[in-house]
Amino acid sequence: MFRDTIKGLDKIIEEDIPKGSIILVTGAEGTLKSSLVFGMISRYLEKNNEFGLYVTLEQTKESHMKNMESMGLTTNCALHMFDYSDMRAEWKDNELDIIKVTEEIIDFYRCKQEKLTVFALDSLNALCSLSNEPNFRRSLYYFFSNLRDKGLTSFLIMETPLSGTSILAYDTGRPEHFLADGVIELGLIEAAEGVKRYIQIRKMRGVNHRMEKNQLVVGKQGLSVIGSIYRSN
Amino acid sequence: MKIGGLIYVMLKVIEKELNLNEIENISELENEEYNKFVDRIVKANKEIFVLYVLANKPMCGYDVIKEIFLRTHVFLNQGTVYPLLYSLEEEGILCAEFTRGNMRSKLYSIAIEQSETIQKKIELFVKAVEFIPNFFKW
Repeated sequence: MFRDTIKGLDKIIEEDIPKGSIILVTGAEGTLKSSLVFGMISRYLEKNNEFGLYVTLEQTKESHMKNMESMGLTTNCALHMFDYSDMRAEWKDNELDIIKVTEEIIDFYRCKQEKLTVFALDSLNALCSLSNEPNFRRSLYYFFSNLRDKGLTSFLIMETPLSGTSILAYDTGRPEHFLADGVIELGLIEAAEGVKRYIQIRKMRGVNHRMEKNQLVVGKQGLSVIGSIYRSN
Repeated sequence: MKIGGLIYVMLKVIEKELNLNEIENISELENEEYNKFVDRIVKANKEIFVLYVLANKPMCGYDVIKEIFLRTHVFLNQGTVYPLLYSLEEEGILCAEFTRGNMRSKLYSIAIEQSETIQKKIELFVKAVEFIPNFFKW
């Protein structure tokens, strides 16, 4: 179950995320997108006899792990990390069909581990900017379809403009929001006592969930959700 | 048998059994079909081809792909070769090190303690390749 992987997450998601769902995790820089996804997957795999794949297009495996450790998050051998740094250093970006490459990487690890059930992409923006596809929207549709066909519960990290942007303006022309089964928004809010991080479940198909923003904090044991951000003000 | 000699044997087997001179004269359509077979053989056995080129010389992922393409005209996609290299490194079959003055590109080579096992694996593959034409003499 994913809802019990982060302390307090079960208060805002009433049922578990259905297997095979594609979840977008959006937010501006510093909102803990990577940490949330990494923490959720890592904890989930600790409790289940399954495997996960976390691919990072812009950070090296080492730098990502260092960052996670600083947040009190640890990995386990069931979560495989893959970074594109060698590939991107040796090939020009226009020589890489980045969506195809990503699908092949998934297939490679699925062949190695039959029980590969969870996938994370960090980030969808990087995939988009490295793609040479003239019709990225169509490619994205097929990419999402392939993830579903493989039965992978997928977390796709997406960097978005700073919080506070109008929801309508923000969603216009963003096919990934319509294609995804769930959208978890992370953000920052200026409060009297300082800047607070929040988590909001904007969409989760087939799951009852709360809509309000909840405060997200980092402690020695990793991340926790500690209740409505407005109530705690 | 030394690894260097294995490619010679493989080429001889292909030359003898498939008659490359005839292949040169085959039509474009047949050539396409032939290339598809070669493509499938190389892709299905990519680990052996990767190990073979690395047994001859340490290389980075880019050069491994280039070398296999030059020898077979089959392009192994980056998404299949890099995870394979990382996986073989994790299993201790390959060693990886950064070259002096280039911290962005890793050179892969066969781990010394694995070279005998790898050589045997390649020999077995060549034997299997030699066995296949026998079926068609039947």
